Amino acid sequence: MTDMTETLITPADAARTAGDVLLEVEDLAVEFRSDGGAVRAVDGLSYRVEAGRTLALVGESGCGKSVSSLAVMGLLPPTARVVGGTARYRGTDLLALSPTKHRAHCGTHVAMVFQDALAALNPVHTVGYQLTESLRARTGASRREARRRAVELLDLVKVPNAAQRVDEYPHQFSGGMRQRVMIASALALDPDVLIADEPTTALDVTVQAQVLRLLAEIQAERQMGLVLITHDLGVVAGVADDVTVMYAGRAVEHAPVRDLYAAPAHPYTRALLRSVPRIDVVDEHAGGRLPVVPGRPPAPGSAPSGCSFHPRCDVARTGASGAVPAGEGAVRDVCRTVEPPLDDVAPGRSSACHFAAELLGGARA
Amino acid sequence: MPETAAPDTTPGNPPGTVPDDVVLEVRDLAKSYPVRRGVVLKRTVGQVQAVDGVSLALRRGRTLGLVGESGSGKSTLARVLVGIEKPTRGQVLVDGEDVSTMSRAARRELRRNVQMVFQDPYTSLNPRMSVGEIVAEPFRIHRDAVPAGGRRRAVAELLELVGLDPDHAHRYPHQFSGGQRQRVGIARALAVKPRVLVCDEPVSALDVSVQGQVINLLEDLQDELGLSYLFIAHDLAVVQHIADEVAVMYLGRVVEEGDRPAAYGAAHHPYTGALLSAVPVPDPGAPPADADLLLEGDPPSPADPPSGCRFHTRCWLARRLAAEEGVAGDGPDDVPARCRTEDPVLVPLGRHDDGAGDGGAGALPHAAACHFARLAAELGGRPTAPVATGPVLTDGGPGHDIDHDIDHDAAAARGRDVGQGRAVEPGEPAPRAGVRPVPETVPDSPVLESRER
Repeated sequence: MTDMTETLITPADAARTAGDVLLEVEDLAVEFRSDGGAVRAVDGLSYRVEAGRTLALVGESGCGKSVSSLAVMGLLPPTARVVGGTARYRGTDLLALSPTKHRAHCGTHVAMVFQDALAALNPVHTVGYQLTESLRARTGASRREARRRAVELLDLVKVPNAAQRVDEYPHQFSGGMRQRVMIASALALDPDVLIADEPTTALDVTVQAQVLRLLAEIQAERQMGLVLITHDLGVVAGVADDVTVMYAGRAVEHAPVRDLYAAPAHPYTRALLRSVPRIDVVDEHAGGRLPVVPGRPPAPGSAPSGCSFHPRCDVARTGASGAVPAGEGAVRDVCRTVEPPLDDVAPGRSSACHFAAELLGGARA
Repeated sequence: MPETAAPDTTPGNPPGTVPDDVVLEVRDLAKSYPVRRGVVLKRTVGQVQAVDGVSLALRRGRTLGLVGESGSGKSTLARVLVGIEKPTRGQVLVDGEDVSTMSRAARRELRRNVQMVFQDPYTSLNPRMSVGEIVAEPFRIHRDAVPAGGRRRAVAELLELVGLDPDHAHRYPHQFSGGQRQRVGIARALAVKPRVLVCDEPVSALDVSVQGQVINLLEDLQDELGLSYLFIAHDLAVVQHIADEVAVMYLGRVVEEGDRPAAYGAAHHPYTGALLSAVPVPDPGAPPADADLLLEGDPPSPADPPSGCRFHTRCWLARRLAAEEGVAGDGPDDVPARCRTEDPVLVPLGRHDDGAGDGGAGALPHAAACHFARLAAELGGRPTAPVATGPVLTDGGPGHDIDHDIDHDAAAARGRDVGQGRAVEPGEPAPRAGVRPVPETVPDSPVLESRER
């Protein structure tokens, strides 16, 4: 299969070695046009994707995690545009390329898997046809070659009876199998970077486990860089190497996965972690209430002053010990008025909270 | 909603009133759909058994969690319960009365008591109706639920009850977030003052951070209004937090049931064990789930369920046993003959004296439909432990009569000495109503013999 890849596709500019920086997003800003003027959906987002590593972008609906990847892919809707920042793929700024060249890069070197596999697949074409659309368009592969490659790809993502199923239509596939097809089609051109946008959110837990395992295997085998976009910190723990937590269009915390779970350095991360229902801790909350992140994220464009998380934050009211629930007590002035920058708080990790050091110290004590 | 002096939902429920206690019950319920071929002249070529002989009881003020993968029949069951679908067999009883034998008017009245919260808050609300209209819509069907003059106020109260601003009643669904929309769906379900809510995956379309808010709301409403819930989900972690009792479904059947701690602490069906191991653990340091236990592929088609135990085609325990026994090669289909040929019955495990999950009077007995239920519990909990065969086990299993179990099961697996089915052991409670009697003997099967090597 690798030789097929080499004969049919121009291989990536260089071989992938673990640790290579493949994609580097810096200070990305995206705005949507609306009646009330421009609304900033992503504001100063930076991250880097290395070969053989997985970065998780985590946040609630509307935090800008999907929009930022659409911007990288050049797939923003017409109402949105990139207003700042760069996204360098092996040194080339994708955002500065012409739309044609941008498209050529994305798809070949940077590929994306979408959340809703049924909506992303065309119901009137066979799975095999769609799998190799990019292959035929970009490499001029013959039909026969393309079909053979489609079967290989389905095998790769462990769709049983690939040789028969390649001629079936998307509605004949289950949700999990469709998501596998989506992954296969993203892998058709052996990309360096795979961006998976909520790849398991619509799936059963059992199928989710399968798809996550598959992604991890493929990523390790090919030394790809993987960006996993999700709202579920439970999913992230077993898969990611690094985590960037987003809130209201900004990164609020970045850390290696173990550090993040051991001691979150931002109150939002801490609240998200607590809200994951756990199966391994039996009866922790039985009969009691599930911890939640109170309130909901601000609508894009109407972020509160100062730290945009302060209305939902327990630390803003009480300090890191967090004895008073959010919604009560007075908010500290600094949280209400000063926007905290994303600063380094420990080796390899950063947090955008005025009380990050306190949080970390409290966790260690 | 203030009409009920909420019966308190703590274990202090009046004991010994088991019949009154059950608000909703299904007995041997089945629902099948014909499979048709042909465009003009349709003919029926088969039946999809979506639900096949399910018996469940929901008690007042309690929450019954129903868990299983897509295609396990849990949503079909929900649709039968609220009357969207008619069962092909079996009974639905509301307050002990069979719904199918009632007059239309009486049925409507009873149906009012069982309302549904749908999975997808984006498609289950009409985008052209304001939220106020959506919540008031049930009044058009159940006109006597609230007098005509009081409906506006009722809507405001309902919205407030679920934590929404009554002043937003004129807004449309698209102006609300997913979590808020699900609150609208709950308000609509509560409009006609039901006593039972059937919640079909009410939080699986929501962000994790919002799931907790909706679950907490449901729990508050239960305390306040004395509601009973049938809570359907594929995520065991969510069910663990809300359910008092849990039933696990696979391909139209209940394969394990019990009060919550029983089902979680000691899964006695390999399928439950597999579901548990699939739940992501939010701890990067946690050991990865045993790959053996994770399910491969999709459930088989309910139009053509596997012979014997329906789970045997995906069962980790059956594969391990077969490998240990040397019954057959190590292909994925090689499982003990008994799993392939004999349909296991849902049998109470009689382990309540363990103190596990004492749910008070009338608690759901822990039952599992697996020939090797005890082994499943032993090995499912300690995934890395080697499968114990006869010699290993004789040096003392943990307490109960596993060795006996195994010898017997192993013998059965080899197709010999299957004269005494071990279904109900002496001293165990008799199977509940709806649980079919256990066959006395296992028929000798030519298939079984020919598979031996």
